[in-house]
Amino acid sequence: MSTAVVETRPRRNPVPLLVSCGLLAVGAVLLAVFLGVVAIAPAEIVAVLTGKGSGEARSIILDIRLPRIVTGVLAGIHFAIAGLLLQAITRNPLADPSVMGVSQGATLGVTLFLLFSVYLNDPGSTARVTALPLEWLPAVGMLGGLLAGAFIYLLAFRRDLGPLRVTLCGVAVGSILHALAIGLIAGWGSARIDVLLEWLAGSLYARSWDHALFLAPFTVAGLLALYPLRRALDLLQFDPAVARSFGLSYRLHFSLALLLACGLAASAVGVVGPIVFVGLIVPHLARTVTRGRPALVLPAAIALGAIVVTLADLVGRLAGRADEIPIGVVTAICGAPVLIALLRRVP
Amino acid sequence: MKRAAARLGSHGSLRPTAWAIAITGATALALVLGLMAGARPLTPGQLLGVLLTPDGKIDSILVWTLRLPRSLVATAAGAGLGVSGYLLQTLTRNPLAGPGLTGVSAGAVATIVFCFVFMPWLSSAFYPPIGLLGGLAAAAVTFWIARGGRGRPLHLALGGISVSLFLGALTTYFLMLSGPQVPSLLFWLSGGFQGRSWSHLAHVVPWVAIGLAGALLCRRVIGLLLLSEDAAAGMGVNLAFWKPVVLLLAVLPVAGIAPVAGPVAFVGLASPHLARFLQPQGPGAMLALSAAIGAFVTVSADIVARTVALPRELPVSIVAALIGGPVFVYLAQSRSALSGVAR
Repeated sequence: MSTAVVETRPRRNPVPLLVSCGLLAVGAVLLAVFLGVVAIAPAEIVAVLTGKGSGEARSIILDIRLPRIVTGVLAGIHFAIAGLLLQAITRNPLADPSVMGVSQGATLGVTLFLLFSVYLNDPGSTARVTALPLEWLPAVGMLGGLLAGAFIYLLAFRRDLGPLRVTLCGVAVGSILHALAIGLIAGWGSARIDVLLEWLAGSLYARSWDHALFLAPFTVAGLLALYPLRRALDLLQFDPAVARSFGLSYRLHFSLALLLACGLAASAVGVVGPIVFVGLIVPHLARTVTRGRPALVLPAAIALGAIVVTLADLVGRLAGRADEIPIGVVTAICGAPVLIALLRRVP
Repeated sequence: MKRAAARLGSHGSLRPTAWAIAITGATALALVLGLMAGARPLTPGQLLGVLLTPDGKIDSILVWTLRLPRSLVATAAGAGLGVSGYLLQTLTRNPLAGPGLTGVSAGAVATIVFCFVFMPWLSSAFYPPIGLLGGLAAAAVTFWIARGGRGRPLHLALGGISVSLFLGALTTYFLMLSGPQVPSLLFWLSGGFQGRSWSHLAHVVPWVAIGLAGALLCRRVIGLLLLSEDAAAGMGVNLAFWKPVVLLLAVLPVAGIAPVAGPVAFVGLASPHLARFLQPQGPGAMLALSAAIGAFVTVSADIVARTVALPRELPVSIVAALIGGPVFVYLAQSRSALSGVAR
C-alpha cells in the first residue's frame, strides 16, 4: 500500500529532511546545555565545553546537565525505535512498550526491589531515601522488563506468533504485572512512596554518566542490529502470508524484531522509568513528517525521539524550578496537543 | 436469511446460549456467596432469615446496607464496562480498545483528583457529577479529534489515547502536589467498591441500562459495522449519524461508573475478548455475553478483594486482573483466539 504511494509521487530528495531532523536534534541538545535553573553566561559554557572555565560551571555543565541530556537522548532513541518496531510487527498503531507488558515488568521489578531493600535496611520505620540502593534500579528494571518480554514471547511462541496473539498476550501479562505492582504500592503504605511515584512518572532527575554509560552499549547494539533487519521490517508490516510469499522467514524475523524492541525498551525503562508517550507517539510524528516515504521513517523517528525527550526534559527543568516536573508528565502534556493538532490536519 | 440463521443456530448458537445462562447463573451465585462472606460470615440459614425479614440487627445491616448494594454496584459496573468495551472495539476495529481508550475514565479521574487536591472544602457528594462532566468533556474532545466519528477509526483510537495520556499526566502531577493524601487517592485510583451504597447504585444503574438497552436496540447497525464501514454504508447505514450514536452508547456507562468506582481497569478491555472465545452468533448475543462476563468478573473480583486480606481491602482492578488475566492468557493461546477480532 505504502509502496504504491511512493511510486505515484515524484521522487523527492531525502537529504533536506534528514539534515533538518539532525540539525533540530543538535539544536535541542545545545538549547538544553545552555538553559537551566542556574543561569550561566553562554561564554562561560563555551569555555567549559572547550576544556576551560571555572570549577562551579564545570561541575554544573559536565556533571549535571550533560549526563542528563545524553541519558535523555539515548532513552528517547530507545523508546522511539521500540515503539516503531512494535507498531510494525503487531500491525497495531497503538502498540508501545507499555502496551506489550515490558514497562509493567520493569515497574514490578523495581517495586519488588525497593520493597525488599527498604525491608532489609530498616524494617518497620522510615529510613532515609539515601539509604536506598538507587544505583541498582536500571539493572533491576531492565531485568524485569526482559523477563516480562520473554514470558510473553514464550506464551505466544507455543502457537503461531501471530501479531494479534502477541498483542493480546502482552496486554494480558502487562495488566497482571501492573496489578501486582500497584497492589504492592497500595498495600505498602510507606513514606517512601514518593521515590516510586517519581520513578513511575518517568524522570531524568540526577541521572549521571553511569546511567548514560549503562545505556550506550544497548543503543549502539540496537542501531547496528536495525541495519540487517531493515528489509524484514518493511515486510513484517504485511500479512504473515504475504510476507512469507516475499521470501521472509516470518517467525525468525518477528522474533528478532520483538527481541530488539524488548531489549531497547527494557534498558531505557530501567534507567528513566516508563515514559509512555515517546514510544507511542514518536513513530506517528515521524510518519507524518515523512509523508509517503517509508524509508525515512526510521531515521526521522530516531531524531524525533531524541528531540522530544530533550525538549520535554528542558521544559520540566525550567518550569518546575525547585521541584521539577517529571518528564513523563511534560511529554504527555506538551506532546498530546501536538499529536491532536496533527491528527486534525491529516485527512 | 432467517432460515439460514436458524440452521446455523442448530449447531452454532446453542452453546453460547447455554454459556450466557451459565454465566448469569454464576453471577447470581457469586452475589449470594458475596452476601455471606466477609469479616462476619453468615450461614445460608442466617442469610435467608435476614433477607426475608430485615430487622435492625447487625447481620441485617451488614447484608442490606453494606454487602448487597456494593455487590449490585459491582454487577452493574461490570456489565456496563463489558458493553462499553465491546462497542469501542467494534467502533475502532482495534482489539486494544476499551473504556480507557476514549479518555472518559481519565477525564473523570482527572477532574475528581483536581477537586480532591485543590478544593478540599468541596463535599464528596459532588464528585459523581463532577466526574461525569470531566468524562463527557474528554469524550467530546476525542470525538472532535475524530471529526465526529467520520474520520478514520485510527483517528478515534489515537485521539482517545492522546487525550487519556494527557489527562493521566495531569493526574500524576496533581498527585505529586497533593503530598500526604497520596495513599488514599492511589486506592481510589485503582478502583473499588468499598462503602458503596444504594444511592451510588441509583447513580450507576441508569447509565448502564441506557448503554445496554441502546446497544441492543442498535444491534443490527452494530452487526453491519462489524463487517466493515463500506459494507455498512452499502447496506444503507448512515455512518455520520450512527457512529457518533454508538460512541455515545459506549461512553455513557463509563461516565456513570468512573465517578463511583474509579477507573476499573481490565474488565472493559478483556470481557469482549473472553466473550468472543465462546463464539456467540451475532452482535446481540455478543453484547449479552460481554455484559454477563463483565458482571461476573467484577462481582467475583470485588468479593475476593474484600475477603482475601481481612481486615484490609485490595483494589478491585488488581483482583480483576489477577483473576481475569490468566484466563485471558490461557484463552489467547487457544485456537479460536484469532477468529474473534477479525469478525
